Amino acid sequence: MPGLLNRLVDDAALRHPDAPAIRCEGETLTYEQLARRANGLARVLVQTGLSRGDRVAVWLGKGLHVPVSFYGVLAAGGTLVPIDPKSPVDQVVRILRATGATHLVSEPNRREVIGQALAACPEVAHVIGVVPDETMPVPCIAWATVLEQASDRPPDTHVIELDPAYILHTSGSTGLPKLILHTHYSATSFVDWAASEYALRSDDRLTNHSSHHTCFATFDYYAAARAGATTVILTPAVLMMPGSLSALLERERVSVWYSVPAALVQLSLRGDLEARDLRSLRWVLFAGETFPGKHLRRIRQQLPGARLSHVYGSTEVNVCTYYHLPQTGDPVGALPIGRACATARTLVADAALQPVPDGEVGELFVRGSTVMVGYWGDPDRNREVLVRRPAVGGLDEVYFKTGDRARVLADGNLAFVARADRQVKVRGHRVELDEVEAALLSLASVEEAAVFTVPDGEGSSALRAAVVVGGDVAPAERDMLADLRRTLPPYALPSQIAVVDTMPRTPTGKVDVRALGGRLGERMADDGE
Amino acid sequence: MANDVRPALEAPEIERRVLAFLQRELLEPGVTIGRDADLLSGEVLDSMGVLRLAAFVGEEFQIVMQPSDFVVENFRSVAVIAGYVGRAGAAHGPDQAGP
Repeated sequence: MPGLLNRLVDDAALRHPDAPAIRCEGETLTYEQLARRANGLARVLVQTGLSRGDRVAVWLGKGLHVPVSFYGVLAAGGTLVPIDPKSPVDQVVRILRATGATHLVSEPNRREVIGQALAACPEVAHVIGVVPDETMPVPCIAWATVLEQASDRPPDTHVIELDPAYILHTSGSTGLPKLILHTHYSATSFVDWAASEYALRSDDRLTNHSSHHTCFATFDYYAAARAGATTVILTPAVLMMPGSLSALLERERVSVWYSVPAALVQLSLRGDLEARDLRSLRWVLFAGETFPGKHLRRIRQQLPGARLSHVYGSTEVNVCTYYHLPQTGDPVGALPIGRACATARTLVADAALQPVPDGEVGELFVRGSTVMVGYWGDPDRNREVLVRRPAVGGLDEVYFKTGDRARVLADGNLAFVARADRQVKVRGHRVELDEVEAALLSLASVEEAAVFTVPDGEGSSALRAAVVVGGDVAPAERDMLADLRRTLPPYALPSQIAVVDTMPRTPTGKVDVRALGGRLGERMADDGE
Repeated sequence: MANDVRPALEAPEIERRVLAFLQRELLEPGVTIGRDADLLSGEVLDSMGVLRLAAFVGEEFQIVMQPSDFVVENFRSVAVIAGYVGRAGAAHGPDQAGP
């Protein structure tokens, strides 16, 4: 059975039974322990009536139970639905109902909210990880009982690699988030590519920085297992304190890092990196946002032994292009997103799916083995983003429409231009919000920047910016605007630049523009009254 | 702050000011916490809140924070923060915190 995600841990347990699979706050699970516990959970799930393809939601804070749950659900033949541990109960209910989950795997400290959620989710028939009592509306099985069933053998299932493996959700803060379905095949295609491209080894130590409900975790957990390497789970306390985080990287001899740029910027600015011995770190991968050049240059000086890799993709496609930064010379301008992975073909095309000439901007389409099956329960959106393009033999090829605009550079690398929906019109002028952000980030005092539009009350849009500044004295708005005038045309200048303490971010660490707009909008309204 | 913080504040006063800030700026309305509550569990504050708290501590108690100060051992709870402020005040002294 090639290509089943849960087999990664079984194979690693055969090859390296005593090797550390997971580390978290000083505790370790070896591959043998991880496989046995996962099989135990799988057996419990099957005993409670789980059938192949049934959805099992996992709602857990960071810890050793997370990988046990992931592999256990997959070994039972279930479809894994990891839920953001910080989701409010309404969001949990929406995901449980939309996926029709029959089982929920969680932990005792969520008992009360689970009770609230289940009242609105009659399809959930079993809860794992909570001690049973009469206050819970459905049968519960405690973790202790699950661990008693630990076993070398997974239950017999007949899962093939084209069967669903997991449904990831985006961070939609209101309404139903997008539910993105991947198969064992689309996941292991990415995992195999990543393990090979970064030459992951059994003595590597990866981290789980992002929340485990995001696509970053596919690399953090499954690519590590593919190599028999260790995943070090980073808990909230460590993630909030850059000095503690860098100390952990040194102590755990972390060798491969993967996060959004913002996490690296925090580490670089406040992580006391100069005081640490981080020679173990050999690969630093980042994705999700642009990496401001001045921060990138500094972090390269702080981590001279590490190679940096800019990877590009969305949850829908895993990773589809990559760019390893040259080991010498400072990057100038925006980093390219590089070339298509061996698993993918990219197409920069117009709206009719005709390729545009090299150098010209078009929308980026991706075809490949790592692309999702589609959005769960959303045929309209699937028709919109999974587009067919005629190929030879009268057959069609299916491309994913990324919603990103890109162009092919002279050296063959792809350059990200902007989100298609991040090009706005301001009083008749086309403005790329990302370009305005880049101009703000080039100012010496600006550490983080976000630009968005608000209605100007005259039928058009006005640009607003928010920045986080370094140093004790915030620069005056008019000074920042004076600097921006050197690089931006007048219509692309933000009409207001607000200095904020911190930038609201989504669970993956991207700027949460909606939350920011809401926060500033209220403040601006208050100021105006 | 019109009143200079020197001479050094007592720990209970530091704790009172930190708790007041948390209550006023960062905690959900109606949520109260004790001096030993774990601020870094991910349940009480998010990473943004922790950064705002750190910025407040630096400003309110006139501490010039060093990168080595951003560790769990200095921010785990209100009581722990008071200990950190006391140590930092003694270590940095008035000349560094002065204008």
